[in-house]
Amino acid sequence: MILDLTDVTVSFTTGPPLRRTRLDAMRGVSLSVAEGETLGLVGESGSGKTTTSRVALGLQRPTSGTVRFDGRPFPRRRKDLAGRMQAVLQHPHWSLNPRMRIGQSVGEPLAVLGKAAGELVPEALEQVGLEAGFAGRYPHELSGGQRQRVSIARALITRPSFIVFDEAVSALDVSVQVQILNLLKDLQAEYGFAALFISHDLGAVRYVADRIAVMRGGEVVETADAATFYSAPEHPYSRQLLESL
Amino acid sequence: MNRTARVKRSRRLDPLSLAGLGCLLLLVLVALGSLVHAGGDPDAIVGPRLRPPGPGWWLGTDNLGRSMLPRVMEGVGTTLLLSSAAVLVTAALSAGFGILAGYRGGYLNELIMRVVELLYSFPAIVLAILVAAVAGPGQLAAVASIVLVTIPLMTRLVRAAAVAVAERDYVTAAAISGAGLPRILGRHVLPNVAGTIAVQGTYALSVGISVEGGLSFLGFGVQPPQASLGVLIRQGGTYMMAAPWLIIGPGVVLVLAILSINVLGDGLRDRFEPRETRSLI
Repeated sequence: MILDLTDVTVSFTTGPPLRRTRLDAMRGVSLSVAEGETLGLVGESGSGKTTTSRVALGLQRPTSGTVRFDGRPFPRRRKDLAGRMQAVLQHPHWSLNPRMRIGQSVGEPLAVLGKAAGELVPEALEQVGLEAGFAGRYPHELSGGQRQRVSIARALITRPSFIVFDEAVSALDVSVQVQILNLLKDLQAEYGFAALFISHDLGAVRYVADRIAVMRGGEVVETADAATFYSAPEHPYSRQLLESL
Repeated sequence: MNRTARVKRSRRLDPLSLAGLGCLLLLVLVALGSLVHAGGDPDAIVGPRLRPPGPGWWLGTDNLGRSMLPRVMEGVGTTLLLSSAAVLVTAALSAGFGILAGYRGGYLNELIMRVVELLYSFPAIVLAILVAAVAGPGQLAAVASIVLVTIPLMTRLVRAAAVAVAERDYVTAAAISGAGLPRILGRHVLPNVAGTIAVQGTYALSVGISVEGGLSFLGFGVQPPQASLGVLIRQGGTYMMAAPWLIIGPGVVLVLAILSINVLGDGLRDRFEPRETRSLI
């Protein structure tokens, strides 16, 4: 297993002093992602998807439970993980630093590792279907779909074993979504990275996921193979979700 | 895809701000001119005392018979130099503290913001006098006062901008890639709050000029015989009834300097911080 979440609970305290209320964003969540596999995580807003992605990325420490990446707990120093885990995030508008050229953005994970980017940046751009010439442009010259392609190129450049896609296609229109999802499948077939694909859109998840986990109110209500899930969902909530599709 | 309507940033400043910029450059030119005594020697006695403007002393003469023109030119230079030096210090410190507080949050943020609020709660001139009392009157006191007066607002605004930038996906993505704090702050946060720093820097410059004016007017700042706008206004004030030109010359220049900088600041703000109206995704 590349990623293992066992009985993870994350709670936040909110409200004024003396009347603090505890809010569990995740309650006893157990999930795992195998090498090369895509786990689709679906659920409505507020179901704990984003917190789960933050825990999976090591950005949020669980209140209780254990998280293991590649068989080991997260190292104290983030740098020890550099290049092995990447993410493609939600907003095409904010996914790239507006003050950096595309080439710099794509090459940054390599720079973090202290490696020279060299030929790898144009190569990475071509892998996601963009011309090498894009390296010299600024993000504001690109469309939303092109920016998400750049984000994918940036995530792939260190050949990570695990990538989190957090609502990575939700802000794009449908035809562009399909292109990006196809691209993802092709790239995964080629490089074999494992992925956690988080979305509120069951249609998009169906397209890429090998297994599906459904979250509701901070809990995982069902985990199943994609084929089983879409043909015979077990949990009433899953059925309800599928009906609305 | 939903249309993300971006307000087009105009590359150029509006005419009013350009006029402000022009006026400011003119003042800088005048100040540079005083270095080569373009308007005459500021310390030379050229004629009778307290003469109204006329040939040989186009802004009149002061109580010692010195021509006001070169003195005002020197004064503009001193005031602009001290204020800009102070604003550079403010910009550097505010950028450092503001970005760190905004990105890291937590106790560091609390500590920095409480200190800033403490400074903020002092009236500017009281703070300036306090500094002068500790450091002794002079140019250093003027610079230190301007820094202390301008640093709270700038730090708060830089922090606010940094908080907004810290939540953006490219910062998160860099952190996930394993980028260290120096890289995240230097490559991602700083360049994206630089516009705020530039805009606030211009406003701080105009505040700086008025603080220098006030402090020197009270006698705690620049010391005569060196001229600054504040020093000249203080000296002119004594003879205001008999020789109003002593106060009109430096007064008009002071107003011009502050006005042109503020107008330029407004233009820069519109240029760097356009209100972006974006549709909800």
